[in-house]
Amino acid sequence: MASVRLENVTKQYGDEIAVEDMNLEVEDGEFLTLVGPSGCGKSTTMETIAGLTTPTEGTVHIGDRIVTDLPPKDRGVAMVFQNIALFPHMDVYDNISFGLRLRKYEQEEIERRVERAAEIVQLEGMMDRMPDEMSGGQRQRVAIARAIVREPDVFLMDEPLANLDAELRIHMRTQLQRLHRELDTTIIYVTHDQAQAMTMSDRIAVIDNGLLQQVDPPLECYNRPDNLFVARFIGSPAMNFFRGEATADGFDSEFVTVPFDPAANDVKAGQDLTLGIRPEDVYLERDRDQADDPTRTIDAVVDVLEPMGDEVFAYLLLGEDVEASAEGRGEGQLLLSLDPQTDVTEGQDIDVVFDQRNVHLFDSNSEKAITHELV
Amino acid sequence: MSNSEHDHPDLAAQERTEEPELDRGIVEAWAAKMISNPDRAYKLAFYLATIFFLVTTLFPFYWLLMVAITPSNNLGSVGVLTPGGINLGAFVEIFTRLPFHRYLFNSFLIATVSTVLVLFVASLAGYVFGRLQFRGKSVLLLGVLVTSFFPPAAFFIPLNRLFNTNVEVLRPLLEAGSLYNTPFAIIIPVSALYLPLSIFILMTFYSQIPDGLEDAARVEGTTRLGALFRVIVPLSAPGVATAGVLTFITVYNEYFFSSLMTDGSPENWGPMLEGVLAFRGQYEVLFNLMAAASIVAVLPVAILVIVAQDKIVSGLTQGALKE
Repeated sequence: MASVRLENVTKQYGDEIAVEDMNLEVEDGEFLTLVGPSGCGKSTTMETIAGLTTPTEGTVHIGDRIVTDLPPKDRGVAMVFQNIALFPHMDVYDNISFGLRLRKYEQEEIERRVERAAEIVQLEGMMDRMPDEMSGGQRQRVAIARAIVREPDVFLMDEPLANLDAELRIHMRTQLQRLHRELDTTIIYVTHDQAQAMTMSDRIAVIDNGLLQQVDPPLECYNRPDNLFVARFIGSPAMNFFRGEATADGFDSEFVTVPFDPAANDVKAGQDLTLGIRPEDVYLERDRDQADDPTRTIDAVVDVLEPMGDEVFAYLLLGEDVEASAEGRGEGQLLLSLDPQTDVTEGQDIDVVFDQRNVHLFDSNSEKAITHELV
Repeated sequence: MSNSEHDHPDLAAQERTEEPELDRGIVEAWAAKMISNPDRAYKLAFYLATIFFLVTTLFPFYWLLMVAITPSNNLGSVGVLTPGGINLGAFVEIFTRLPFHRYLFNSFLIATVSTVLVLFVASLAGYVFGRLQFRGKSVLLLGVLVTSFFPPAAFFIPLNRLFNTNVEVLRPLLEAGSLYNTPFAIIIPVSALYLPLSIFILMTFYSQIPDGLEDAARVEGTTRLGALFRVIVPLSAPGVATAGVLTFITVYNEYFFSSLMTDGSPENWGPMLEGVLAFRGQYEVLFNLMAAASIVAVLPVAILVIVAQDKIVSGLTQGALKE
């Protein structure tokens, strides 16, 4: 067990900056997830911790050691790879015991540890199988057993569930959480799937363009995103956004006007603002009592309904000449989450309100959050 | 008149939908069949080519056997398919008359050491060229390629002068103080000459091993070199076997350097081919012994190829990685 600390880590490939000046501290025993879109530098960050790449600048600490220039084998880390990466020419036992054999452990000790690891991931009785005789989930469990058998200080998992089918992925998700509880080790997990990040981690680190955006517990990132990127990236379906500006008495944009006192919300009149509201914080006018602090009514037309079973997503158009954009939700469109028993139909004119307690305001230029609750 | 125009025979033939029953010869009928069904023609061509190839390669070997079992006084009566008598003694005589086994051992040892050397160096080079990105890579690779273009004879004179030079430092190690008449005089130039081919074969194979496997090995506790020999090389078994077999056969059959870098006597590391040619006396040429020696000399290579073929199991990496 050990903490991990990145200090001013920068990684450059030629002219391209993969990771820029990253400062990140992972506590002992913590489950931290690095999350971001593909190519944002999260895998490079993990490779830097593992020692598979050397940072251009900065230092990496594991526990109280500086490991920046140590080879991967001397860092006390174990890694589970996206492509699983079992050695195809070795059976399960040889795969799991590979690291122990390299470190010249005694035969008995190896057998005891392999047995224990196999028990944790429920692989008993499969020791003689070759990797190509196993299913994807079984192979993934072998890869995890190979990582835990060495009792490493830090576990690194690079999209370990990406190649599994949906059902297995959800199953393995709970398995990994159980594993974390059982082993009580530091786990650093990389994923582009925010659902995995939300469900498993103690904290998540949102990365975009090689820059760390926010490091906080999942719900904190969800409810109080530091900037527009985090607000857009965390949550599915994503938050609704409206670009507008601050007036003397609130927020004004082409489609939505929300009155509030600018001074009380740290907003200056004339400032370019982006207003964000999550689909579950939009209510029908007739249900306005359910909102803690409803705004003024907004007119809309129902464009498309998406029944999900436990809820219905309604895509609304806020103006007559607004056309549904082919590329996601554009300006003038609003997504709202409804009760599955709803009587709203497509094409219907409806009135909606926002819950002011959950309206997010961002500065459009700096993209930084101003407030997460209108007063 | 109008009637006759209507009955014109050509017109009638054109209007007929079915092909007329022509009186064809056997060859014509066969050709028509081939044209209507070209797959048969391709198949036939394939078998013909295969048979031609097998006959041209295997028949000389068969005839060699016929010569070998013909008694030496009957050599004039060897037929095309039949021997001129039966005498299996030739296979024993080659070892008693001359130490042919020593010649065989010399070639075998030189080929084995060269193969091991070539595989080791080519593995390192193949890893670097196949898996790493660095400045000057293509220039270096081109350099490797260019060295393989030179005819071996171009290197002979400088190398011969070099190996005949007495080097004082080597005196405790080598009797004469020079490399002439030692196996090193053959192993060194021959390994260097056949190295580029192996580098290219191994480079291709090593570059196809997924990065994830190497990363996994390194995180698990190997160095880069350890990952190469524990993971990349075993997974490239088909390539390593191919490069190894090719190098072994070429060096084993090598004559140019082997005969010129030694005086050709068995105790001075004369090669196998020198041994085959040694059954040529001043007044007679013992063709049957030469034939027997040639057949015996083929055996090590034949065994090697059969063993290696068993090892060449492709598709070894399938199923372990999802990309």
